Amino acid sequence: MGLLQAHCPGAAGTNVKTNNIQLIIRLLIPLGAVLLALLIGAVMLLSLGADPVSGYATMFRAAFGSLDGFSETAIKSIPLLLVGVGICIAFRANVINIGGEGQMVIGALLSTTAALAFPDLPSLVLIPVVLLAGAVGGAFWGAIAGALKAWFNVSEILSTIMLNIVAVQFMNFLLRGPMMDPAEVARGTGIPQTMRLSPNADLPILIEGMRIHLGVVIALGVAIGAYFLLWRTSMGFRLRAVGYNPDASRYAGISVPKNITAALAFSGAMAGIAGAILVFGSESHRMVTDGSSMGFTGSAGFNGIVVALLAGLHPLWSIPSALLFGGMLVGANALQRAAQVPSALIIALNGLIVVFVVSSEYFKQRAIPTIRVDGEMDGAEEGGANNG
Amino acid sequence: MIAKKHVFSIAILAACVLGLVLSASAAEKLKVGFVYISPIGDAGWTYQHNLGRLALEKNLGDKVETKYIEKVPEGPEAERVIRNLAKSGYDLIFTTSFGYMNPTLKVAKMFPRKYFEHCTGYKTAKNVGTYMCRYYQGRYLAGIIAGKMTKSNTLGYVAAFPIPEVIRGINAYTLGARSVNPAIKVKVIWVNSWFDPGKEREASEALIAQGADVITHHTDSTAPVLTAEEKGVYAIAYHSDMSKYGPKAQLTAVTHNYGKFYTKVAQSVLDHTWKPEAVWSGIKEGSIKLTPINPVVPKGVVALVEKTTKGIADGTFKPFHGPIKNQNGKLIVAAGKSLTDKDLLGMNYYVEGVQGSIPK
Amino acid sequence: MDVAIVLKILIAAVAAGTPFVYAALGELVAEKSGVLNLGVEGMMLVGAITGFIAMAKTGSLLLAVASGMTAGMLMAAIFGVLTLTLMANQVASGLALTIFGIGLSAFLGLNYTSIALPGIPELPIPLLSDIPVLGKLFFSYDILVYGSLALFLLVSWFLYKTRAGLILRGIGETPKSAHALGYNVIRIRYLAVLFGGAMAGLGGVYLSVAYTPVWVEGMVAGRGWVSLALVVFATWRPLRVLFGAYLFGAITIAQFHVQGLGIDIPSQLLSMLPYLATILVLVVISRDLTAIRLNSPASLGITYHPENQ
Repeated sequence: MGLLQAHCPGAAGTNVKTNNIQLIIRLLIPLGAVLLALLIGAVMLLSLGADPVSGYATMFRAAFGSLDGFSETAIKSIPLLLVGVGICIAFRANVINIGGEGQMVIGALLSTTAALAFPDLPSLVLIPVVLLAGAVGGAFWGAIAGALKAWFNVSEILSTIMLNIVAVQFMNFLLRGPMMDPAEVARGTGIPQTMRLSPNADLPILIEGMRIHLGVVIALGVAIGAYFLLWRTSMGFRLRAVGYNPDASRYAGISVPKNITAALAFSGAMAGIAGAILVFGSESHRMVTDGSSMGFTGSAGFNGIVVALLAGLHPLWSIPSALLFGGMLVGANALQRAAQVPSALIIALNGLIVVFVVSSEYFKQRAIPTIRVDGEMDGAEEGGANNG
Repeated sequence: MIAKKHVFSIAILAACVLGLVLSASAAEKLKVGFVYISPIGDAGWTYQHNLGRLALEKNLGDKVETKYIEKVPEGPEAERVIRNLAKSGYDLIFTTSFGYMNPTLKVAKMFPRKYFEHCTGYKTAKNVGTYMCRYYQGRYLAGIIAGKMTKSNTLGYVAAFPIPEVIRGINAYTLGARSVNPAIKVKVIWVNSWFDPGKEREASEALIAQGADVITHHTDSTAPVLTAEEKGVYAIAYHSDMSKYGPKAQLTAVTHNYGKFYTKVAQSVLDHTWKPEAVWSGIKEGSIKLTPINPVVPKGVVALVEKTTKGIADGTFKPFHGPIKNQNGKLIVAAGKSLTDKDLLGMNYYVEGVQGSIPK
Repeated sequence: MDVAIVLKILIAAVAAGTPFVYAALGELVAEKSGVLNLGVEGMMLVGAITGFIAMAKTGSLLLAVASGMTAGMLMAAIFGVLTLTLMANQVASGLALTIFGIGLSAFLGLNYTSIALPGIPELPIPLLSDIPVLGKLFFSYDILVYGSLALFLLVSWFLYKTRAGLILRGIGETPKSAHALGYNVIRIRYLAVLFGGAMAGLGGVYLSVAYTPVWVEGMVAGRGWVSLALVVFATWRPLRVLFGAYLFGAITIAQFHVQGLGIDIPSQLLSMLPYLATILVLVVISRDLTAIRLNSPASLGITYHPENQ
């Protein structure tokens, strides 16, 4: 799949110095892309009569300037990170999952169903249950696309696009119908939302007075877990083998269809967990729809792809990448509040960053001549770099 | 480690001091925040709220400072935006969409010293008031005009989602039209979207094809009025004046206006007299207005509308007065009675004359 | 339902299907050359606002069409640079283009949200449009609808009756062999992508200038994604794209008519149908290897660069 393929520096035996240079290049090029986008954004800000320097300062302060701001950024980053990690997994098996939006929705619906079905379970049991239900829901939705690709040769790109739309309509149907809050039905007011879900499923707040909740820890755990799954388990090995060379894998006795399905299921599971966290980590502790998927997911299903790209399709690098994007989204609101710039500018800026990040892949490849498609060393090395 | 801790606490202390200084300097002005569901330039719902915000700024001058955040979806995002407004020193926050109800209440609980006003909701709290307009009063008046102007006795209604607010409007419109022309039928098409010009056009076209010669809408775009103009039928606009989109078509527009209300609320916060109330204002308070009626409408009809307007304003006339039959002909409001606000808030049936059924 | 109503549904379906015809035929040509551009929604939006601005400023439909097409092409050029020159992944680049297009169009349209355009007149073809029933059905549209039919004829002729079309399809099948035969794969793909962008832009212009002559943020409302689905649904055949576009239009319109007649249908479930149908078609055609070989470009979505071969 061309350039999206991992451009992994550091084959075994390269000396440390080259590794460091390559690491720096790996970091600098995507950051350069972001900066370039911000530069164009500055011109757009100027054209609206706003001061770009103070504007960006406002954004940065709001996202990273205080503990509370950072807490908001972390929350915003959760779905981005989880979807991003899912993209990394799918990508290693050479499948592209753009069904994150739909998988988040189905995951959220199934986890909501679980909370409605077992409201009396104690928190220690119910929280894992709803998260698991989210994972299963997302995995199921992902696996549909996976199975269609594996056994019917259906392009997962096209099927996941369709499944996104189907999922949203399904959510609208359920929340306006069978799953609607009985109080809303009784009162006749009909807000398309579920009842307030069992408090036992509320994700605990980590710092009193802030919104940061257990979801952040879960997302980090999942990201690290995905790293181990890919590079420390035989399952991960099979996924990567199928992605790297399906023919050889088949010859070696690895089932290609099963692993393709598994890859999309894992990827969907990540998105499904993100959906569950959005429901149980929210202030209102219920699922609500505004009729589109964006209202619920905040487009994390798409933005997560960019997060993964910026991270070089590595689960651990996705952590800072998600924080960067999350921070930008949080900062964008502050910018709007401070300078009253239209929301259009923020979306355009987001789009610009995406475009530049995608194009930066090329320069990254140019800058790093040693390309290995195998992720083994890459993973080990970056894991180390991240811990250090 | 200990040194690090010290640095950390000093930093926090510094931040607090800075925060105090900042809030002290800003304390003189009342900071008012608005949360909008769509961009301000949409000639619809948000546009009217933003006009209200600007009126508030004009009326209270430098006593207030207002800011808005637009295009905030009704999900987890809304909580963050509302909370951040409260946190960054906004003392009075208006949240202007139905789905912001729970987030507003949650955030209000966390910031007991700030004031919140939620539009179209039904739950108040210690520091949360609600407000909405009696759109149905304007709908009733518009119905009178439509009932007099139709030749086919068929009116078309493009509607977004089957919630009481929309159903109330459909019923009031139907009652108004049938008060002058009992043969009226009202056809409703639900587009399942507040804002999709393409769908709104297609629905309007379908209604016109089925014989409707006056189109109205409870959606946010100007497409129904545009379509009516193109197809040579009449239209009744909603939210804002759309006469430039349909100079021939638009008979009138039912508009809602918040300037007075926003000013009043802000003033009451400044005077420390704010109380959580569920305000439901209409023609009497000037929140609901019809735009100037198209000259094609006969003088007699205009006079009737004016008379009814007066009646609604002084309370002698109520649009939902008995006898009212539901769609199946069953009497639901006896003669001499009228529906209470509570009945109106939970309205989930069609009155006689509306065709089709409310989707589940 | 009487004949008059059915006729009105069909006429409305043609108008509703026209933006899909433009965007999907453009995308079809791009995909036939082996390039999958998921940025249709973004290109349509940018085309829509640019065409709208030109129409508002000059009142000339020709200029509106020209600027909408140019804007779509410029967007496609970004995609071309990313995927063909910089060899970035097509899926990621396409998504990037859509996200960018949504924001850019909203930004460009800031000062145009409250402007009303007169729309464009219907152009009944003299004599022919007077034929009862059929005359109205076939000969009473505005010029952009006729334009989309012309585009259909042009694309069908180009792909299957010209040498250039054969080369384009060949490149979509096996770029390597085409390269070996001396064709400039990248240049031809660029042209196909630019054509796709121009047509998506034109589809956008139809929406903002003719269909609902206003500009509102995000007014394309998912039609770009539907167009992408239609190309697959049509198994990469122009005639089936035309048929699919009108079918999709007809389902939407009929759904509203059914409601207007007072029949209750669960609309959310109904609006899933086209997408479920597309998945089903995908399953059927993807299993049938002959159908794939005949129609779907084998190298679709795969980055190609001669240097790497």
